[in-house]
Amino acid sequence: MTQPSSAEHVEPPLVELRRIDVAFGGVHAVDDVTVNLYPGEVVALVGGNGAGKTTLIKTLSGAHRADSGAILIDGEPVNIATPRDAKALGIETIYQTLALADNIDTPGNMFLGRELTTPWKTLDDSAMEDATRKVMGRLNPKFTNFKASVSSLSGGQRQSVAIARAVHFNARILIMDEPTAALGPAETAQVADLIRQLKQEGIGIFLISHDIHDVFDLADRISVMLQGKLVGTVDKDDVTIDEVLAMIIIGKLPGEVTRKELEELHG
Amino acid sequence: MSDTRVAERAAEPAAPSRPRRNLAGRLLRATEVDTRLLGMIVALAVIWVIFNIFSGGTFLTARNLWNLSVQTAVVAIMATGMVLVIVSRNIDLSVGSMLGMVGMAIAILQSEILPDWLGFNHWAIWIIAVVVAIALGALVGGFQGFVVAYAGVPSFIVTLGGLLMWRGVAWAMASGRTIAPMDGTFQILGGGARGSIGSRASWLVAILGCLGAIAMLVSARRQRRRFGFPLRPMWAEVTMGASGCGVILASVYVLNHYFKPAGLAEGRTDIAFGIAVPVLITLGVAMAMTFFANRTKFGRYVFAIGGNPEAAELGGINTRWMVVRTFMVMGILVGIAAVVQVARLNAATTGLGTLAELYVIAAAVIGGTSFSGGIGTIPGAVLGALVMQSLQSGMVLIRIEAAYQDIIVGIVLVIAVGIDTVYRRRMTT
Amino acid sequence: MLNRRLMVVLAAIAILVAACGDGDTTTTAADGATTTAADGATTTAGEDLVIGVSWNNFNEPRWANFDEPAIQEALAAVGASYISTDAGSSADQQLADVENLITQGADALIILAQDGTAILPAVQSALDQGIPVVAYDRLIENAGALYVTFDNVEVGRAEARVIFDLVPTGTYAIIKGNQADANADFLRAGFEDVIGEAVAAGDITICCETYTDNWDTALAQTEMEQFLTQEDNAIDAVLSENDGMATGVVAALEAVGLAGSVPVSGQDADFPALNRVALGTQAVSVWKDARELGKAAGEAAIALAQGSALGDVPSTIIFDSPGGNAMTSILLTPIPITSDNLNLVVDAGWISVDELCQNVASGTVGVCP
Repeated sequence: MTQPSSAEHVEPPLVELRRIDVAFGGVHAVDDVTVNLYPGEVVALVGGNGAGKTTLIKTLSGAHRADSGAILIDGEPVNIATPRDAKALGIETIYQTLALADNIDTPGNMFLGRELTTPWKTLDDSAMEDATRKVMGRLNPKFTNFKASVSSLSGGQRQSVAIARAVHFNARILIMDEPTAALGPAETAQVADLIRQLKQEGIGIFLISHDIHDVFDLADRISVMLQGKLVGTVDKDDVTIDEVLAMIIIGKLPGEVTRKELEELHG
Repeated sequence: MSDTRVAERAAEPAAPSRPRRNLAGRLLRATEVDTRLLGMIVALAVIWVIFNIFSGGTFLTARNLWNLSVQTAVVAIMATGMVLVIVSRNIDLSVGSMLGMVGMAIAILQSEILPDWLGFNHWAIWIIAVVVAIALGALVGGFQGFVVAYAGVPSFIVTLGGLLMWRGVAWAMASGRTIAPMDGTFQILGGGARGSIGSRASWLVAILGCLGAIAMLVSARRQRRRFGFPLRPMWAEVTMGASGCGVILASVYVLNHYFKPAGLAEGRTDIAFGIAVPVLITLGVAMAMTFFANRTKFGRYVFAIGGNPEAAELGGINTRWMVVRTFMVMGILVGIAAVVQVARLNAATTGLGTLAELYVIAAAVIGGTSFSGGIGTIPGAVLGALVMQSLQSGMVLIRIEAAYQDIIVGIVLVIAVGIDTVYRRRMTT
Repeated sequence: MLNRRLMVVLAAIAILVAACGDGDTTTTAADGATTTAADGATTTAGEDLVIGVSWNNFNEPRWANFDEPAIQEALAAVGASYISTDAGSSADQQLADVENLITQGADALIILAQDGTAILPAVQSALDQGIPVVAYDRLIENAGALYVTFDNVEVGRAEARVIFDLVPTGTYAIIKGNQADANADFLRAGFEDVIGEAVAAGDITICCETYTDNWDTALAQTEMEQFLTQEDNAIDAVLSENDGMATGVVAALEAVGLAGSVPVSGQDADFPALNRVALGTQAVSVWKDARELGKAAGEAAIALAQGSALGDVPSTIIFDSPGGNAMTSILLTPIPITSDNLNLVVDAGWISVDELCQNVASGTVGVCP
């Protein structure tokens, strides 16, 4: 039940999650959900607790396998069984917990699992530090503390390390799970700038957030889930915040919801 | 160059504030040396001086320090592996019993099985014994690691079971008998009368060590320059090179002044023992383990798993296989330690290695390894072993009763870890 | 007619039951009217006896290799059954083990105490339940128990005599066993009996003396190394309370080239020690033929289980313990083995010539080829 987006697209979407189904025991955490994403756009995935958005996105990031349905990249079906598979396809994920190892420094975290080695198979720490400096320089020029372990960095700096990791490895598809949840306003603005920068580079971003204002600030389209099912996908420009809230809480599309119900949301 | 240095200082968010004029502070920051490691060296020096005073000058003799170096070997070798085990958020309580079992196996091999096939004092006996020790250790360690990683049983339980089982196996192998003596060449691996390399070879090792340390400093500096990273000030580099060389040369000087008694040296009194073979083995093991921990993917992944197991998984690291390998490495080190211990004692008893796991864990922890995982150093563990052995040997030297020895060692352990905990808390708040 | 037949049959059955049923006419110990156990033809059939043995720890070589088989043989001679427990060096565990053996129906207990004081409650409890106790090798301060041991003070004297003969004046080091083990002090008392006078007269100086946790071999090596360091190798003789520790002592001496020139003592006659005696690196190992000990304890246990009074068990004397108890004891005589009488251990089948003579140069020792 996808409403046509305002932009005209002839090429296939960058990513399409088609009819994804994930069940735990008899419970459908994700029930026949289809969403897609085009290059250079941000699609926000919103919904209440237990809506299934994290589970859905895990099928794309390789952290969980879908029970049925297909994932298509550039229109071609792909098989994503592990996080490595996802990364190989250019899908990078920034988890809510950031997945940073606190006892390791920034370059080490950047390359975790994908370390650069010398011809003698030892870690090439200098090359990794060099690459890290370059990519951090683009995203966060004020950052200079490359030798300390990431536990001593601020929340915003840690976030930028996680994003830099995704960017460095030429992600085409970025999944961001609650990127601003633990950040203050200044740092949230920083992250917002970063996201805009990435959009301009043609990267497609799935954004999971519970902050409706952030969503309206950053997203182009919004897909709403409720209890495992997709309520609908709307263009941000076509709806109000209340209408989206109605989708999240009641599950009714903007065309179906009454004014009375919208008022009751704030009651 | 000074601009980047200033910028770096400005950007450091959590550096402890010290007045810039403080020489010690500047020295520490410039050399980038871990203050904790330095603290341990100071503590060791203090212990040595105290014991020297109370023993009437006997503790700091060449002979006692030579003995100390050999006595530390067994625990130090195993402690290097225990660091990785604890870093990865596991524990291995079975190392003492494993040592007893492996020791008993190679003793029986040498004194009962191989002589039947090859005859006594065959040149290959010691080689076979060492290979079997390492293989058996790897097998047992790998098995324990497998149960931890793939069956999901907590390592505390698996290795507690091992502690009980392997001791029983050690007993069963020889029905409780003591097995002695060992092959002649094998004994050399344990030190003793013939188990050192002499003064000339020791000086050679010292010079190589010194050159190696300087080469590492030079290479690190070159790498930094190549990438345009901030360099350490020249005076700091020189200080580090000089201290490193100094320590190496001083140690070898001491070991070269423990002279063989006339009875062992055909009447001469100027032939020095030099570095003992078990000490060489320990140093080799420590260097290899430090290399693995810092410069290979294996080491990096062990630390990652300890720091954040979930991040490691999501990074695509096969955490289960890593755990198996960590325990396998521990097992190999136990095998090497068993070789040294049996060679030194020239016998294997069923009680060999009893309680060793406690000393090994204590050495790792005193050396800075944290039970919460992700933090630990190999050189620290070796120093920790040296601290523990200095305490124990020193106390025998000054005639402290066995019961009081245990009390003192326990108190020191708690104090050392307590200081470490407070230090860490201050560094992160 | 039928009634009378029935009555005869019932009566016959009744007589049969009465005759066969109660095989052990266990007379109480109080009146002392019993027969001895030795030949098995007793009022209590040997087959019905269960003897329980509580070991402290099977890690010492001798228990499993010599003591246990000997006890089992003595029991098998009368057809008695053998049950046992291993306390794994834990005094607490041993308390539970003793209870366990009683529950399993032991008629008498043989206890090798991990801690002679800690075991007292269990011993008293057994005696109260009418189950006789044999204190095996290690003293238990309860006059109701039979103490079967080698005279440990005599072992100490035997060790010291050999060393004192070789080194009447000079510096001695003494390596003792576990501090909590009464035997360590008995042995030390034996040493004192022999060298005490010389020490008082100043002919002998004891430079170094220490207990060793768990009689541990490796620990003894470190202790000896420290002593040698402190005395700068000027030690003339070493009294080591057992062979296990002597292994460590000799290793330390070997490292400074003093093995063979500094006499070392030991006890247990374990095979590496006897080999060292043959090689000349150990002066004496006091042989306590543990088979004799096991046999004596086994036979005594059987006698007690069949109702003998303590004093009626053959070969007992009264030994005044350090705790002031008049212990009824069987004290066996230990034999010091030196290079002069190695043939004894070979002839008795204790050790083979091959094991004894490993690495021994031919012609140096009579019994070796």
